[in-house]
Amino acid sequence: MELISNVLIDFALAFCVAFCWGILFGTPWKALLVTGLLGGFGHGIRFILLQSNMGLVAATLIASVSIGLLGIYVAHKVHNPPVVITMPACITMIPGLYAYRSMLAGIKLSDQAILDKNPNIIPTIAHNAVLTFSLLFTLAVGISISALLFRNKSIKEIRFDKSRTRLKEK
Amino acid sequence: MENTTKSPQNIKANEVAEFILDAGVFLMASGAHSGRVWRNCRRIAEHWGYRMNFTPTFTGILVSVWDDKNSENAVTRYKTAPSNSVHLETLTQISHLSWKIAYGEIEYNDARCELEAIKSKAHYPFWLVALAVGISCGCLCTLAGGSLIDAALAFCGASVGSVARYFILKKQFNQFLSIIIASAITTLIAGTDTIFGLGRAPEMTLATSVLYLIPGVPLINSVIDLLEGYFSASIARSLFAASIVSSIAVGMILSIMLLGINNF
Repeated sequence: MELISNVLIDFALAFCVAFCWGILFGTPWKALLVTGLLGGFGHGIRFILLQSNMGLVAATLIASVSIGLLGIYVAHKVHNPPVVITMPACITMIPGLYAYRSMLAGIKLSDQAILDKNPNIIPTIAHNAVLTFSLLFTLAVGISISALLFRNKSIKEIRFDKSRTRLKEK
Repeated sequence: MENTTKSPQNIKANEVAEFILDAGVFLMASGAHSGRVWRNCRRIAEHWGYRMNFTPTFTGILVSVWDDKNSENAVTRYKTAPSNSVHLETLTQISHLSWKIAYGEIEYNDARCELEAIKSKAHYPFWLVALAVGISCGCLCTLAGGSLIDAALAFCGASVGSVARYFILKKQFNQFLSIIIASAITTLIAGTDTIFGLGRAPEMTLATSVLYLIPGVPLINSVIDLLEGYFSASIARSLFAASIVSSIAVGMILSIMLLGINNF
C-alpha cells in the first residue's frame, strides 16, 4: 500500500516538473497536459524499477524509451511532433545531482589542503561524471527512439489504424 | 513519401532556397535536430518541384536547390542561424506548414506570410516562465529527497535567477554572462540552506535549483545528431552545451567561494 502511494506521489511531482519544463521550452498549450502525463508516467516507471533493485542507468533507459515510444502514439492525438512532447518529459530524469557532485568535487580538487585530507575526490569525480554522461545518453536514446527505429521516415507516415489511413488519403 | 514532383511553375530556385533557409535556420535555433530540419525542408522543396541537399551546422545552413530538367535553374546559398533560444512551438508550426505545402494547400506567397507570422510568435511571458521554473525546481528537489523547506528555497532561487536572466538578456548582454550571473544568484539563495542548516537535505537544494539553466535541448540534440550522422552539427551543439554548463559551474563557484567552500 505504501508503495502505491509513493508511486502516486512520484507521479504527481514528475507531472509538475514535466508540465513546467514544457512552459520553459515553449511547448504549445494544448500539448502541455500530455507532456506532464508522459513525464509522470516515465518517472513513475523509473521509480518502480529502482524500487525493485534495478540499476539506475538501466531503469532510466527503460523509462525514457517507453516515454519515446508512447510519445509517438500520443503525438498523433495532439497533432504535434513527438519531440515537442517527449523532450520536456524526459528532462524530469536529468542527472542534475550527479553533475553537481562532480562539479563540486572538481572545485575541491583545486585546493591542495582538501585533496590531502580527502584523496577520494578523484574517484568521486570520475564516478559522478560517468553517471552524468551515461544518463544523458540514455535520455537522448529515448527521445530519438523513433528516428532510430523508423529511419528517415516522418512520424506522420506511421499508421496505427485504418481510420487514420482513410483520413490521409482524403 | 510519394509526392508527385511537379515541374516548377513560376517559383525560382532562388526563392525556394530562401524559403528553406529561413525556415531551416529558424527551426535549428528553436531546438530542432538536424534530421527534423532536413525532413521539413525536403518536403517543401519536393512539392515545389526541386531537388535539394544541405549541410547543417549549428551556426548556419548551407543549402543547394536544383531543378533536374533545367541545369540553369540552380542555386547554393548559406544563411547564419539566429542565436539559440529554445521554443518548441515553432517545431510544431513549421512542421504543420511544411505538410500544408506538401499537400498543396498553400501557395508560395501565403506560405511566406505564414512563416513570418510563426517567426514573430511570442514565447510565454517571463513571469509565467519564472513561476514554472520555480515550481519545477522545487518538485525536482522534493523528488531528490529534499524536505518542504529545501523545495521552497529551490523555488525562490530558481525564480529569482530566471527573472534576473530575463532582464540581463533583454539588455542584450552575452548569453554566457547571463547564465553566470543567474546561476550565481540562484546559488546564493539556495546556499543559505547549507549555511544555516534549514532543511533536511541542503545538498539537494543546491544541486536542483540551478537545473533550469541546464541546456537540455542542445545536449540531447547533439546526441541525436550523432546517432543520425550529422557530425559537424553534433560537435557544434555539444560545444555550445558544454560552454553553457561550464558557465553554470563558474557562477556556482563564485557563490560557493563567497559563502566559503569548507561549508559545502
